[in-house]
Amino acid sequence: MGRNSNVDYDALIVGAGIAGMESALTLGDMGFRVLLVEKESSIGGKMILLSKVFPTLDCSSCISTPKMAATANHPNIKVLTFSEIDAVSKNLDGTFLVNLRKNPKFIDPVKCTGCAQCETACTVAIADEFNSDLIARRAAYIAFPQAVPKKAVIDRKGTSPCSFTCPAGVKPHGYIALVRAGKYDEAFRLHLEDAPLPGCLSRACYAPCEDECTRGQLEGPLPIRAIKRFMVDRYYIEHPEPEYGIPEKLNVKRVAVVGSGPAGLSAAYFLARSGYSVTVFESESEPGGIMRWGIPSYRLPKDILARDIKNITALGVKIVTGTRVSSTQKMKEDGFDAVFMAVGNTGGRRISIPGEDLEGIVDCMDFLKSCNSDDRPDVNGKKVVVIGGGNVAIDCGRSALRLGANEVQLVCLESNDEMPAHKWEIQQAVDEGVAINCSWGPKAVSDVGGKATGAEFVCCTSVFDTSGKFNPSFDESKRKSFDADIVIMAVGLLPNTSPFSSEVELNRNGTINADKETLQTAEPWIFAGGDALTGPSMIVKAISQGKRAAYYIDHYLQGMPMNSCHFDERLPMVDREAVLSRTPGDISDRKPVSLKLKPINEWARSFGEYESTMTENEALYSANRCLDCGGCSQCRQCVAACPADAISFDMRTELEDLTVGSVMLSTGFDIFNAANKPALGCGRFPNVINAMQMDRILAPTRPYNAVIRPSDGKAPSNIAFVLCTGSRDQKVNNRICSRVCCMYSLKQAQLLMGALPLADITIYYIDIRAFGKGYDEFYEQAKGMGVYFVKGKVARIEETTDQNLGVFYEDIEGNGGTRRAEHDLVVLSVGVLPTQGALCLFKDGSLKADPFSYIDEVDEDLEPGKTSIDGVFVAGTAAGARDIPDSILHSDAAAAQVAAYLKKTGKAS
Amino acid sequence: MMEMPGRKLGVYICHCGGNISDYVNVERVADVVEGDPSVVTVKTNIFTCSDATQQDMIAEIQEKKLDGIVIASCSPKLHLNTFRAMAERAGLNPYQYTQVNIREQCSWAHTHSKDAATDKAIKLVRAGIARTGLSMPLKRLRVETTPAALVIGAGVAGLRAALALSDMGISVHMIERAGQPGGMISKWGKMFPNGKKGSEIIDSLIKKVRERENINLFTDANIIEKSGNVGKFSVKISVNSKETISLTVGGIIVATGFEPYIPKDGEFGFRLDGVITLPEYEELLAQSSGSFKYKGRDIKTVAYIYCVGSREHCKEDNPHLYCSRYCCTGAVHAAVCTGDLNPGVHQFHLFRDMRTYGKYEMLYDQALKQGSIFLRYEENEPPQVTSEDGRLKVKVKDRLTGGEEIEIKTDLVVLVTGMVPRANAPLVNVLKLPIGKDGFFNEIHPKLKPVETVIDGLFIAGAAQGPKTLSESVASSMAASAKVAALLLKGYIDLEPLVAKVDPDLCTWCGACEQTCPYGAVQRITCDGKEIAMINPVLCKGEGGCVPVCPQQAIGVEGYTNSQVEAMIDALAMEVA
Repeated sequence: MGRNSNVDYDALIVGAGIAGMESALTLGDMGFRVLLVEKESSIGGKMILLSKVFPTLDCSSCISTPKMAATANHPNIKVLTFSEIDAVSKNLDGTFLVNLRKNPKFIDPVKCTGCAQCETACTVAIADEFNSDLIARRAAYIAFPQAVPKKAVIDRKGTSPCSFTCPAGVKPHGYIALVRAGKYDEAFRLHLEDAPLPGCLSRACYAPCEDECTRGQLEGPLPIRAIKRFMVDRYYIEHPEPEYGIPEKLNVKRVAVVGSGPAGLSAAYFLARSGYSVTVFESESEPGGIMRWGIPSYRLPKDILARDIKNITALGVKIVTGTRVSSTQKMKEDGFDAVFMAVGNTGGRRISIPGEDLEGIVDCMDFLKSCNSDDRPDVNGKKVVVIGGGNVAIDCGRSALRLGANEVQLVCLESNDEMPAHKWEIQQAVDEGVAINCSWGPKAVSDVGGKATGAEFVCCTSVFDTSGKFNPSFDESKRKSFDADIVIMAVGLLPNTSPFSSEVELNRNGTINADKETLQTAEPWIFAGGDALTGPSMIVKAISQGKRAAYYIDHYLQGMPMNSCHFDERLPMVDREAVLSRTPGDISDRKPVSLKLKPINEWARSFGEYESTMTENEALYSANRCLDCGGCSQCRQCVAACPADAISFDMRTELEDLTVGSVMLSTGFDIFNAANKPALGCGRFPNVINAMQMDRILAPTRPYNAVIRPSDGKAPSNIAFVLCTGSRDQKVNNRICSRVCCMYSLKQAQLLMGALPLADITIYYIDIRAFGKGYDEFYEQAKGMGVYFVKGKVARIEETTDQNLGVFYEDIEGNGGTRRAEHDLVVLSVGVLPTQGALCLFKDGSLKADPFSYIDEVDEDLEPGKTSIDGVFVAGTAAGARDIPDSILHSDAAAAQVAAYLKKTGKAS
Repeated sequence: MMEMPGRKLGVYICHCGGNISDYVNVERVADVVEGDPSVVTVKTNIFTCSDATQQDMIAEIQEKKLDGIVIASCSPKLHLNTFRAMAERAGLNPYQYTQVNIREQCSWAHTHSKDAATDKAIKLVRAGIARTGLSMPLKRLRVETTPAALVIGAGVAGLRAALALSDMGISVHMIERAGQPGGMISKWGKMFPNGKKGSEIIDSLIKKVRERENINLFTDANIIEKSGNVGKFSVKISVNSKETISLTVGGIIVATGFEPYIPKDGEFGFRLDGVITLPEYEELLAQSSGSFKYKGRDIKTVAYIYCVGSREHCKEDNPHLYCSRYCCTGAVHAAVCTGDLNPGVHQFHLFRDMRTYGKYEMLYDQALKQGSIFLRYEENEPPQVTSEDGRLKVKVKDRLTGGEEIEIKTDLVVLVTGMVPRANAPLVNVLKLPIGKDGFFNEIHPKLKPVETVIDGLFIAGAAQGPKTLSESVASSMAASAKVAALLLKGYIDLEPLVAKVDPDLCTWCGACEQTCPYGAVQRITCDGKEIAMINPVLCKGEGGCVPVCPQQAIGVEGYTNSQVEAMIDALAMEVA
């Protein structure tokens, strides 16, 4: 056969179960080149998961593994696992265009040796579909012991919502998984990979991750920030100093960072880790920016900040304090190769009202700064008015109370619901004694001898106009005034960028104009970020800006084009509904731990912290509530464990278009979900299992190494099989018979009699359909062994107090009527259903289904395997339920069809 | 133990999940054989056949430059080829690999005693080491193949197989014993589930077969002789009992079909007027249109008795134990056709288990909806059929109504007869076809090799292998065709080199080996002026019957030489210690 350059493969076979493997081997032996695509990480399909097979009772592994090995090693067969077909269409010349999708394995199959170290290290447990969910597997896993290829993959269903949401790229799912595993140091170190200020974040982060937590749709989100605080506090007590020192200097380039707030420190941290010499310039006497001077210490203790900053300085980052930078040009002259401007907000916004410049009017940032200094403002016994409704206003009000203010009136434009401050912060402020006055706009400050004595407000009827823009309107007729010794203006923050106006382009609001992706300004060596770029934001966003800046500064300094890569490498967020739907309905109800606050009388007038750290038990309890939304938590334990350095989180889906001469669909079947027969109790009663689970329990690679019932691990002594569960049943819209359930139940019954010689086994049936070669003899053998057969349809199953099961059935051959029998384990012999995937491959709908939604065989009598599309064939159970011998015969018949088609069209290579 | 000095052997012992290690202490086996001087590595594995373990073994063979390996696992029937292929990938001659069966022969056979099973495993592995230590590299024998096949039987399975082979580019010679092609279903009317007429199905196939240039159809033809081997069989065909044709084919498909069961006289009233078999009823239906009459009498009631000649577990002499698979569906389909023909006919079904499997369930459903009444009987209380005043009476204890005795007066009793194997002793003799317990031709393994027989190149298809429906017969015949194509399309076959070989110096030609060889592989030749025996390696199966009869001890079987077998016996006789 001469090589035909028009096709990449003579045949595409979709699905590498027993049917796909059989067809591939036959076609391969004929000399055709076959591409075999399997969506799981191993070939073998469902057959390899079975215990033994009827009627010969040989071990299913023993029959499957030779076929699997032969398939994988056949010179004419290319096997692609963990891959799917998105679409197939027929070309005019009779060949087929195939859109192939290779899903990322996140483990390089060439390097992987199948040693399973990653499995051992992995901190995420996921229901093991290869053990019918009886036990868990890891997110990093090898499908099963006989997998071909025996290579691990990582189950990343997407990015977990918490990790996806964090602007700084911190991976809450990762450190929570590590905390859950008791790997507290590892949890901290993982955080440090992504952001250098875990202490500050554990106190003062507004934790957008918690808003996204999927468990929030059940009993309440995980207290992610509090878990972090547990992890950080524990680590900092054990490690007063960082565990690392100055990294190897990878290059001689120097970077200056202007501002030591969260953006500046983060940029310095990541740049230093990349081997740059970094100097941070800070105008104040101590570093930390807003964290040092803005946030009150009852929210963020300064020793925590100091310890956080050690994470950065340990890398050799120099922080020069008390030095105000006023020219970037000067820095260039001083030998810096790049500058990152993260000057933040240092001043409050002003509003033009009469009396704004009077004595007694205080800027919020000045106020908070002096609160955080040794020279605290004197408000003892004074009346304080705070104008503003944001977090800064709340901080000012609460700080004023702590400094002994007689009265604090917080007045803001916004209504209660519109206030930008967080609800819990407002509540705490109110609890402490701050009076909140909503919907009032400042009109004027009362002036008595050049000193402010109060402020006057008019009623604000709305803050935003219909288009959502800030455009307040007032009702001048309604007025209100407050006496005040001090008026704190907290109506917004302004960046301190004016000194640089000649060197970088500034926006009208004073923020620096830079590329939003790369943070590069028009001057290529100047980057800008943080609040100076974005306007007022939050710490975790500023960290993300610093991290982003470091990434692109590194790029810039390496001389790489700025568009050559992308900072954000996250996988898309996992679908929360999918997470909830795979979460078992009977997941135990676990309420969130409520955060422990000191008694209010202890903290309301103190600058000390009022929230306490979780106990270890609380942290473990909380971490264990995690639903592992994304599968893999990205905890990176596998990376550390893999001896072959095979793990790569950077892998992404690869799409490829191929041309093939013919297509064979061997996509198998689905198993009836017994939960759709609620009266039978599957999913409600632990001792009602399905037959696939029983097959796993009996398999050589079984999950428990013994036949036990799930509720208490006891060996069952009275087992029932309920045949026709989901088959021959109009109510579940599956009128037809599944062909295999009678026989596999007879097989399981015989195996159980071997495993549990004293157990009673009852099979409830409608008809025993033992129709194949040697099958009726097998049925007689089961009868001879003492299996008890009851002709009767089971109507419902109830659980007894000792978790046995009362089986109600129609006693057809006895006295009639309904009877009840008690069993201690019930196996539902679930039927076979068509899969939906294959029918969707042909977007034009040209692939027809039969009335039962199996792929239609247009001439079942004489042309087995032929579908509605010439050149597309179906093999095995994709065309209808079949047992293994019939599937194999059907697959070989379909292989003959493929060969005939290829000969006819001349499209074979 | 006699061994070639300096051998570097690897021994791999398999847990087989637990299939072996539950009953054989594999670690002890490993410890004991590790001391053998020729063994340089011993490993135990959970699944030696797994891809990963194979990769590990390949790496070790290459790294330690092993020149022979022993794998103690399951039967060579399962994995001999798996591991030979692995050896080849590792660069080791596949015939310097020995598979020792410690599963079937130790763990499965001696579940009562782990110690005894372990001791036996040790001895067997030692014997394997002894044999491998004396092994020589061997090369497979390559045989050119003929791209032609012989299909025996021109029923639906044979006809469809012939077309499939022709489609794949293989020439076909087809022989049919009867005067006409078509087989059993050519006489039948509507076939389930699609309602096509049997005769029309057959006619369309025959038409296509006759159109094909690469199909020769011989009717009134029988195979009378077969020689040669896989890839190149020589067959002689007798046509019209006059002419004999010689053909060369690469593979043979036997698709000789089934016989319908003919009840004994008196069995369920058989031979009473109005008691007929299902195939007879099918013919009656096929011939009926408009009115529905039997021997001129209107048929108002039909009673079907199922499992006649099938599932005979209570019968003493020569019972058919098996289920005939097609008959339940055949009967309900006949009932549906009857209902379509004349909705007024009352139909009673006396069944045991209604085996309308899979999508055929819909026919059962349809029969129920049409008003067919189903009663269930047990084999030990069969229905009694009697004739009274020209009317048939069926008495049955209906299990579905608590064993109530019911009498049905009926015009027709249809005995739902099964399929029985076709008697064909001459064919079996010529082809040496293997026959299973149920009397049908037997495949090697229902899942691994469902259309293959123990004779290479000889395949079985359709109902000759066991009862099947129309579409199942067709599928199996096409599967057999696919396997023939897989065998022949490459143009050559590599054969086992484990064959007998004559030492020309020792041989004195006495002819003893020629007489003992069942494969006709021994030839007398003259070599350097001396008459000696020569063994055709393609015909030889390596069965070794010639070895002990040779008075000069001039014959040995490659891979099982005298010295190898003696070394194995010594190893087996050695105390375990």
